[in-house]
Amino acid sequence: MDSSVHLDNTVMQFGDFTAIQKTDLKIESGEFFSFLGPSGCGKTTILNMISGFLDPTQGDVKIGGQSMRGVPANKRPTSMIFQNLALFPLMTVSENIEFGLEVRGVSRSERKKASNRLLELVALEDSGTKKIAELSGGQKQRIAIARALAVEPQVLLLDEPLSALDLKLRQHMRTELKAIQRKTGITFIYITHDQGEALTMSDRVAVMSAGQIQQVADPITLYRDPHTAFVASFVGENNGVSGKIIEVNSAFVTLDCGPLGKLVGRAQGNLSVGQTATLFIRPEHFRLQAEDGMHSLQAEIQEVNFEGAYLTLNANTPANQALSIQLGTHQFSDALKKGAPVSLSYREQDAIVIVGADHV
Amino acid sequence: MFSQLKARFGSGLAVGIIGMIAIWLIGLVILPQLLMVDYSFRPNLLPADIGGPKDVYSLTNYETLFNNLIHLKIFFKTIWSSVLVTSLTLIVSYPIAFYLAKVATPQKAALCLLLLIIPFWINEILRTFSWYIILAYKGPLNALLLGLGLIDRPIRFLSGDGGVLIGMVYAYILFMIFPIYNAIESLDTNQIKAARNLGAGWIRTHWRVVIPHAKPGIATGCIMTFMLAAGSYAVPALLGSPGSRWFTQIIYNWFFEGGDWNQGAAYAFLLLIICIGFIALVMRIFKVGLGDIAK
Repeated sequence: MDSSVHLDNTVMQFGDFTAIQKTDLKIESGEFFSFLGPSGCGKTTILNMISGFLDPTQGDVKIGGQSMRGVPANKRPTSMIFQNLALFPLMTVSENIEFGLEVRGVSRSERKKASNRLLELVALEDSGTKKIAELSGGQKQRIAIARALAVEPQVLLLDEPLSALDLKLRQHMRTELKAIQRKTGITFIYITHDQGEALTMSDRVAVMSAGQIQQVADPITLYRDPHTAFVASFVGENNGVSGKIIEVNSAFVTLDCGPLGKLVGRAQGNLSVGQTATLFIRPEHFRLQAEDGMHSLQAEIQEVNFEGAYLTLNANTPANQALSIQLGTHQFSDALKKGAPVSLSYREQDAIVIVGADHV
Repeated sequence: MFSQLKARFGSGLAVGIIGMIAIWLIGLVILPQLLMVDYSFRPNLLPADIGGPKDVYSLTNYETLFNNLIHLKIFFKTIWSSVLVTSLTLIVSYPIAFYLAKVATPQKAALCLLLLIIPFWINEILRTFSWYIILAYKGPLNALLLGLGLIDRPIRFLSGDGGVLIGMVYAYILFMIFPIYNAIESLDTNQIKAARNLGAGWIRTHWRVVIPHAKPGIATGCIMTFMLAAGSYAVPALLGSPGSRWFTQIIYNWFFEGGDWNQGAAYAFLLLIICIGFIALVMRIFKVGLGDIAK
């Protein structure tokens, strides 16, 4: 069954405000796809367009190749898990799960069978007759999943469903969601502002900012090869150093970073001499010992934090820019203390130069 | 209660407040009611006979109703018509309340509420009388319907119960809209979206999700409307025809035309008791508790 979702040149406007810039995006059948972005970036609007609560101003949403224009929310092959779950508090757990089937005129015995099967899937076999208020946060979460799956949707939409859970439960539910996705084989579209969730669960992630998709890629590419300054600083931790491009040499460019000297990094896209650009280096890519072909910058240590398996340093450059550095604990020495100078080296292929000023 | 008031205002003021509430409750509510209870069990006598050998307690006044078929018929017609008024008001008010609570933008909702409230700044008699004009045989409504070609000749809205029903639905609509509006407003909009998302059409979404949530508000609105309708005097007096007398009019007649306060008091209590009993029964059937309504 084709359960792909295609945002076909979709635009969403509310009055003068454009919530979603023109977007063309195809989400493959059976994919675990995430939209990642800060709040207000338009990701919930996308979910509302796919589920039918909003009609795009321009363009179309296609599910399984079928245009959804004019198809109301209750006739679409999608199912949504709401941020606050929106379970029906006046119904029992079973009634909640069976609601979608009841609507479709499925017989009582068939409904019972389906709800038992789903309760088993989410490992809550004995909870059918319970009231929603009697469930814990994690149990409610799983009932919401069961209710959404009961209608056998082609596409499951998840609107930050884990944000209300505590850390441990959240990590557990990530594994569980991924397992359910594998078991059912349907398309999952996941909305989150939590990059950890997006990176661990997704096949592909779309990073969004201000109504625009910045980059669509698998999690590793997104981390290693960000296309825009926003993605570089939003996904994972990053240090951005701005400067002016003074030399472009095939894949690598040299930046004049003022008091930090000349720094070299891998070019992202087409860059030319004279442009303002930002060099991004991840905290874990800094070394204390320079090796051949490495580049270095000088800084002064502000703070040393011991985190167990690793150390984090906060340092200040002569340009008064804060850097964050992550080192293996074995590299700890007494020389690493507040106020001490430190020489930070990196390999040029680990640094990435993106045009424009640092975003954050 | 006293210690709370004392802590807040000092004992002097606390005694004053409690005293005033007590005077108000006892003097203006409890005593007159008790006096009416007393009246209702005693015969209607000439002033000279009051306190004399004929002045004994009996159920005679209460029995009068059950021996007077016309009064009994009007009594049950009043209850039945009040049920009808309540149902009609509910049917009219629910969509308005839902629109105000969940569909309209805040500005539109405020405007609609204002438009609903403004007519109620006008005296009830005047408001009711304006319906008399609207519904008159040669009035604007008939003129409009004739003009549109929907009817061939004017309708006598004001003969029979039609005028009374319309007038009462209009008079009590706010008492229905506001409790339902409050109840629906407290419903999480995602619940409605979830029902839609799971495939429910509008009717089922309301039936299974919105109405169960709004039940206490609906109950409050229905009780208020029912009690007001059953106890209404102005609307049936103005818009009613001779054939559509309300029981309150008979009570009025006993008091002010028959001069028999004792009989009037007994009738009034019968109406009150039956209304309370009826409401208790309906609340039981729809499984609404007193606690739900007090919310």
